[in-house]
Amino acid sequence: MSAIVCSHVDKAYGATTVIRDLNLAIEEHEFVVFLGPSGCGKSTLLRMLAGLEDISGGEVSIGGKVVNDLEPGDRGIAMVFQNYALYPHMTIFDNVAFGLKRQKVPAAEIKKRVEAVSRTLGLEPYLGRKPTELSGGQQQRVAIARAMIKTPKVFLFDEPLSNLDAKLRNHMRVEIARLHQSLKTTTVYVTHDQLEAMTLADRIVLLKDGVIEQIGSPAEIYRRPGNLFVAGFIGTPNMNFIEVTVGKGKDGWTLTGAGTVLSLQGGDFNLRHGDRVMLGIRPPDLKTAQAGAANLLQGTADLIEFHGNDALVTFGSGGKEISALVPARECPELRAPVRYSFDEESIHLFDATSGASLRKQ
Amino acid sequence: MRRRSSLPVTFLVPTLAILLVLSMVPTLYAIVIALQNRELSTTGYSWVWFSNFADLFLDRRFLNAVWVSVKWEVVTVVATMVVAIGLGVLMFEVAGPRLRNFYCLLFIIPVLLPRVSAAFVWKFAYHPLYGIATYPYRLITGGLIFDPLSKPATALFAVASVDVWQWGLFFAVIVLKLLETLPPQPIEAARLDHAKRWQIHAYVTLPMLKAPLISLMFVKMIESLRSFDLIYVMTRGGPGVATETLDMYAFSQGFIESGKVSYASAMAVLMMIATVITFTMLWKRVQA
Repeated sequence: MSAIVCSHVDKAYGATTVIRDLNLAIEEHEFVVFLGPSGCGKSTLLRMLAGLEDISGGEVSIGGKVVNDLEPGDRGIAMVFQNYALYPHMTIFDNVAFGLKRQKVPAAEIKKRVEAVSRTLGLEPYLGRKPTELSGGQQQRVAIARAMIKTPKVFLFDEPLSNLDAKLRNHMRVEIARLHQSLKTTTVYVTHDQLEAMTLADRIVLLKDGVIEQIGSPAEIYRRPGNLFVAGFIGTPNMNFIEVTVGKGKDGWTLTGAGTVLSLQGGDFNLRHGDRVMLGIRPPDLKTAQAGAANLLQGTADLIEFHGNDALVTFGSGGKEISALVPARECPELRAPVRYSFDEESIHLFDATSGASLRKQ
Repeated sequence: MRRRSSLPVTFLVPTLAILLVLSMVPTLYAIVIALQNRELSTTGYSWVWFSNFADLFLDRRFLNAVWVSVKWEVVTVVATMVVAIGLGVLMFEVAGPRLRNFYCLLFIIPVLLPRVSAAFVWKFAYHPLYGIATYPYRLITGGLIFDPLSKPATALFAVASVDVWQWGLFFAVIVLKLLETLPPQPIEAARLDHAKRWQIHAYVTLPMLKAPLISLMFVKMIESLRSFDLIYVMTRGGPGVATETLDMYAFSQGFIESGKVSYASAMAVLMMIATVITFTMLWKRVQA
């Protein structure tokens, strides 16, 4: 049985529709990440699951029970907020115990459970302190403890790491992953950071303008993006896009554009002679061309960004900026001519007008 | 260094000097008069030192005035805060943004009325025959007379209600605005933590607003000390001495009944000392 089911869910503020006819089933024990740019409705959707926003249309059920009209406290969920949302006037102990106290759990049991949870999260030394006396990472851990202690059916995380600095963010990300491994609680996690999404998720739900663009495992979404938006959003550095025209060749297809003609077998794609299509290649898939290599993209290195292990080389080809991520030792000089080639397996083709992937299912 | 430190002094000295003159001269003069036996009816006087103060503690009317003042202070401050918090929370919970603005405007009007006007309005509202505030009583009892301002048991509360009407409603607006400044996330977290509506306010929002609410209470405590105009218009301290606060009694001793300005000054000096001590102690406790 699915832990969370959204069917035909809508959300509108007055005349503005934020979420449109959204259907989604989240399995038990699954770690699902809502990913998308700002304003795509991912936080709104999470808050609708939590009961902090009304559901304008459709139905949301958690654990087999329709929760549309249930109070947030009665939905069997716990939420961790971006800015921690701790009660500033209470000690850490009282912050963590607040929910249990409201449920009239006996004091002795509260004490036992708070101690158990704070041991798991390493918060024992701070139980007597106020939230302001803790660092950001510790505060977020308190927020997680406050969510954990309720032993919810579902954990909701609303961009929990975006207020932390980069190093702490990595650390907390690992902790959240470990926590999920040991607790196995169904988790919905909202972020705009694709690294978090890729590393944590069992499945990613990619949203744009309140519509699901693609649902899939991180690998699926990375390797087989369903449309132009997904392809452009996922992957750092960003995928290169070149608009090309399809031509029927002798034993395959040709793609003409950006000052070059590329030839491919094209067996994986639905192609038609004369179509305008978007060719997508991820920068790491461009390799320094050996002598006699086919499918060349060439130009002059305009910009070189050194990353340590590798370097991002940006060059112009037929008036189009293209980036290649190459090993640092193959890095060319600035303004030097560069030649890169790619394998047919690594390319993506999209319809230039609809943006849909042309890959055969 | 010297040049730099002289600038603040240049600006501060004249201002502070004026303030000092304005505040200290009347205070010192009151203390001096309190140690004499001046009366309005005669020009002569002599130094009696502390005998005015000694007399005060044997004056049953003075002791009554102290008790009335304490009652007035407690009743108005507590009632104002209860009304302010109650109404503020109620508006926060049930009213939408437009309705809130309307209520805020409505609730600010009473405090904009001059105190004397407010006092007259309510004096008439409490009129036993024509008043709107006593109208329900007449209606229910079939025309029986109820005169809250002339009954010792109710007079103080009737006058206090005007004070609360002015300040409680105004403070309700402030409490609402304070609630609106709070970050929404702790409130949402509390909703997820099974807190009921009233529990959210009792355990989360109001404790978060502890410091500004205490400041508001201090403002009201100081404001309540200046009850003179309201009481003067509505009851003149009556019936009997039921609403005779210290400033009311001092005024009637100094100017209305006997013209004993030295005796009245002694009262004023005592009030000042008591106020300074009480507020200093309260302030220290709150800070701790």
